[in-house]
Amino acid sequence: MVVVKLKPFEEILKALEGFKKVFIFGCELGSGRCKNGGLREAVELGEKLKEKGFEIVGIKSPGGTCILERISFPGRELLKEAEKNSEVIISLACGAGTQLIAENVDIPVLTGVTTLFIGAEREGKYFNEYCIACGDCIISETGGICPIARCPKSLTNGPCGGAIDGKCEVDPSIPCIWYLIADRMEKIGTLRKLKIRAPFKDYSKSVYPRSLILEEEA
Amino acid sequence: MTFSEKLKNGKFIITAEVAPPRGTDWKSVIESIKPLKEKVDAFNVTDNQRSMVRMSSLAMSKLLLDSGFDPIFQITCRDRNRIALQSELLGAAALGIRNICLMTGDFTTLGDQPDAKPVFDIDSVQLIELAKKLESGKLLNGKEIKGSVEFTVGAVYNPFAGPKILQEWKLRKKVEAGAEFIQTQPVYDIRVAEEVNDLIEALGAVPIIGLLPVKSLKMANFMKKLNPTSVPDKLIEGLEKANDPAQYGWDYVIDIAHAIAEFGRGIHFMLVGKTSELAAFIDYLRNDSPYNHKF
Ligand code: SF4
Ligand code: SF4
Repeated sequence: MVVVKLKPFEEILKALEGFKKVFIFGCELGSGRCKNGGLREAVELGEKLKEKGFEIVGIKSPGGTCILERISFPGRELLKEAEKNSEVIISLACGAGTQLIAENVDIPVLTGVTTLFIGAEREGKYFNEYCIACGDCIISETGGICPIARCPKSLTNGPCGGAIDGKCEVDPSIPCIWYLIADRMEKIGTLRKLKIRAPFKDYSKSVYPRSLILEEEA
Repeated sequence: MTFSEKLKNGKFIITAEVAPPRGTDWKSVIESIKPLKEKVDAFNVTDNQRSMVRMSSLAMSKLLLDSGFDPIFQITCRDRNRIALQSELLGAAALGIRNICLMTGDFTTLGDQPDAKPVFDIDSVQLIELAKKLESGKLLNGKEIKGSVEFTVGAVYNPFAGPKILQEWKLRKKVEAGAEFIQTQPVYDIRVAEEVNDLIEALGAVPIIGLLPVKSLKMANFMKKLNPTSVPDKLIEGLEKANDPAQYGWDYVIDIAHAIAEFGRGIHFMLVGKTSELAAFIDYLRNDSPYNHKF
């Protein structure tokens, strides 16, 4: 899932300078799951903005803001309503969802979050980055654990010399991912795969902006 | 005999580390290592070590060469993608720099400009493959290059990093890819030095064991914090008792150097502080020690 983080209220306030009527969008899919931009946070933001004298025209949190375009109803209607009745939209959806809203309305769309990463939810308490969408997935070779996203140096031939005592040289509060890879591959009996030199990664596959074109069914 | 000739002829090797200046005053760096001229076989020129900006290691290597020293040009994957790495290595070859030591590099955020963009396009094993590809007369993409490229390729190994099996496999990959010599992180235990020596030699490369004289108890404790298993208790205890900890730290390392001179192939001094003492020790090894035939 895409993990986002709410911007500090002061920053949102500053961006809203000069506006009065505000429509707030959350997103239940990513932002909601990570409790930084779902309906609850959108309502809370609305309350705080009201206290500061803003008029909150509406608060909505669709099931997925980044697929709004496909939802002709009620998504489209929602955008029309927001555009008609407010001067500005604050979106708590990820960068993609927020841009999609902006593409569909002719009023300013501001973001209330920063999009952080593609991650996994752990113990309902925190989120870890698991994938940087490198476009050339290699985790079948590394026990299903990604060293591209989870090793700061994106090493593919094994750990660096700074991997001491299970900890990562770059941030000792996180494990060196190669310890987890070694444990897992040992357990499933594939460790010896790591004896083979890894090919150079093709970074042309991560040159953005990328597209995925769905093939027409025959 | 040059460093690379000694390497090929099975001679005992002594290397030391030298950092380019923060700025352009390369002359004082050369001045500081003059007592070691023709004693240390080659000087590793560090590449923005610990992610702190210094003068280019390629430029400093060339200045060393012109001043009569044999440089080992260190280059990391931190700041350059494969295009820049190939270009830099071709430049080194054209300038007559033969010895190179290839490594991943410290991470950007550990230095004093943590806001820099880290590169790490390829890793240390692949960097060795890249250098060998250039030697074969081709760029990575297979295009032929004009002129010859000849390197003596080295790499590094930290015996205290883990997971052990993956570190050893990575070391093996480095040797298979073409590393001829391996310089290690500092070792403070003769038994560890011997194990590492044997491991590297069995893989088919020349081991050059890292030695870093500790100057104080504070420095030893700091290193122990970073890398707990690398600093034995007896070194800490000795430093605690010593009247002159810097001298103790020096003598401690010299004892290990003696042992390596007996069973090993080379030593790498990672801090050129006591230059005249080091020069005297090298003179002793070469002339009066029981191992003088190895030099
Ligand atoms: S290898 Fe690439 S695509 Fe696969 S999980 Fe890692 S970053 Fe994502
Ligand atoms: S310690 Fe491990 S995770 Fe951290 S940079 Fe080195 S190899 Fe990558």
